[in-house]
Amino acid sequence: MMLRTERLCKRLDSFQLQEISLEVSRGDYYVLLGRSGAGKTQLLELICGLTPPDKGKIILEGEDITRKRVQDRGIGLVFQDLALFPHFSVKDNIMYPLRIMKLPLKERVDRVQRAAEEMNIADLLLRKPENLSGGEKQRVALARTLVTQPKILLLDEPMASVDASLKDSIRRMLRRLNRNGQTIVHVTHDFGEAISLASRVGVMHNGRIIQEGTPGEVFTHPANRFVARYAGIKNFFRATFVRSYNRFSCITDNRTEFKLPKGDYPSSGLLILAAADVLLSRQGAAGVQINNIHGVIEDIVPSPIGYEITVNAGDHFFADITRREMDDQKYVAGEPVIISFRTDSLKLVGEGEEKKEY
Amino acid sequence: MKGHTLFNWIFALLASLVLLFIIAPLAGMFLQTTTEEMRITASDPAVTRSVWYTLAIAFTATLLFAIGAVPLAWIMARRKFPLKNVVQGIIDLPVVLPHTAAGIALLGFLSRDGLLGGAAQKAGILLVNNGAGIAMAMAFVSLPFLINAARDGFAAVPERTEKAALMLGATPSRIFFTISLPQAWRSVVSGFIMMFARGMSEFGAVVIIAYHPMIAPVLIYDRFNTYGLSSARPASIIFILVALFFFVLFRVLATERHQIFRREDDATD
Repeated sequence: MMLRTERLCKRLDSFQLQEISLEVSRGDYYVLLGRSGAGKTQLLELICGLTPPDKGKIILEGEDITRKRVQDRGIGLVFQDLALFPHFSVKDNIMYPLRIMKLPLKERVDRVQRAAEEMNIADLLLRKPENLSGGEKQRVALARTLVTQPKILLLDEPMASVDASLKDSIRRMLRRLNRNGQTIVHVTHDFGEAISLASRVGVMHNGRIIQEGTPGEVFTHPANRFVARYAGIKNFFRATFVRSYNRFSCITDNRTEFKLPKGDYPSSGLLILAAADVLLSRQGAAGVQINNIHGVIEDIVPSPIGYEITVNAGDHFFADITRREMDDQKYVAGEPVIISFRTDSLKLVGEGEEKKEY
Repeated sequence: MKGHTLFNWIFALLASLVLLFIIAPLAGMFLQTTTEEMRITASDPAVTRSVWYTLAIAFTATLLFAIGAVPLAWIMARRKFPLKNVVQGIIDLPVVLPHTAAGIALLGFLSRDGLLGGAAQKAGILLVNNGAGIAMAMAFVSLPFLINAARDGFAAVPERTEKAALMLGATPSRIFFTISLPQAWRSVVSGFIMMFARGMSEFGAVVIIAYHPMIAPVLIYDRFNTYGLSSARPASIIFILVALFFFVLFRVLATERHQIFRREDDATD
């Protein structure tokens, strides 16, 4: 195990990190995903020692580093605002930690050159940070941290200051770094970043890690509505489950009834339904394992694939339809329609969600 | 638009009156002094000695007190501690004190019966009627200019850059000298020059600590009392010109030095 935190707690002014336990293996690309204010940056600052924890332990390569000096931890951190030294050139920025390490001049120069070439900034070495683009600054900040050869690299929202068009190249660079063996902990609020980079994901909310696992595990079996929302799911139904002989069904809080496949259900819980699994028509769909729900179109909004249609059927349903389908069917707001979906499209999400949070 | 123009005219007039108020007495003093008077005063050893002495004492006082004032400014910018507002009040106190009152307070401290004066006398040093006492009087009234300017400079340094340096392995002292101070440099130098300028023009506190050796403001006052306006005027002009020259020179040198420091840093690689 490369990094392990054991029940880390920290009370800040108006916020508290609570019992944070996470494990990052050597070579992992661990993404901490959460909204701003979830406590991600504070957790990074605890791990690297800029803030001391109130309780708990931080173990790096088997050694307890909880009370160790920041400078001696062997952890690299790239801040969200990059924190380049504005009075130094790019070369001096990258050289800064090497001077502290008192390396011979030749080795310093070699390391700066290698890092600059690896980050594709060799032609920027004499420039000042104020003359660099967001993407270039990002590369300089990474190079400056990587020359210290950290055991683990912490990245705080590394795409935040990068233009959308450059995000792909930064992503490729980070993937390459990780493939070359660099263990990375990456903090972001962007689900897409997590999916495209992570080998493991931890979802943070209100100072806690509420779900952890591979991206596949986390986003196909979200533990609660918050995680499901991150996966782009909008259809949520709090329901009471009913079993009558071999028929399984549930009734939502808004009195909509769904048929369910056979299964083990609690007395009540939260169901999710992906918008892509919802079919919209005027006549409904046939089949034993199909739910047909009558409702009225409330809103039609353009989306990347075509349109997102909101249907009010007591509960609100969100359905994605393509442009071609819209051209054929010409749905309009206020029109009665039927929502259809397979019973096994409904997924029960984990327990323990606090209703008041949503 | 007409109202806008009227507004501009009124403001321009008011601003001009204030500028005129500053320029008129100085210009009058220059115009009423003949070149012959200037030549005689400039070749008076008492005047030249006094001007150089003032500059040297003010510079030395600024330099020596900066050793403590700059760290104090950093602490005020970066640290949170109980009664910080009280400490800030203490720093600003010399600005609001009447300078003669400051001189009286200092005299009690620096005289043979005072805390510091008594200790200094045991070591064979006399602080009253002495350059050391004058330097302290100058520093007492001018320190807030350096501390407050440097504090603002340090506060404007992004704290993240200091944290980043810590993450890269730097010790706190290295961070101060390589990250904080270079970024706050302009404000520190600006405060240094303001302290120097304020110190060398001090009269009220200095005259109580030491009438002799005579610094330039005391000499000008002495000439005025003894010989009148026509004798004090050329001495004032010479002091103003020399002080202005050094004021500008230090600003230029400070900018140059900063650039040389950067070039040397590049050259080490």
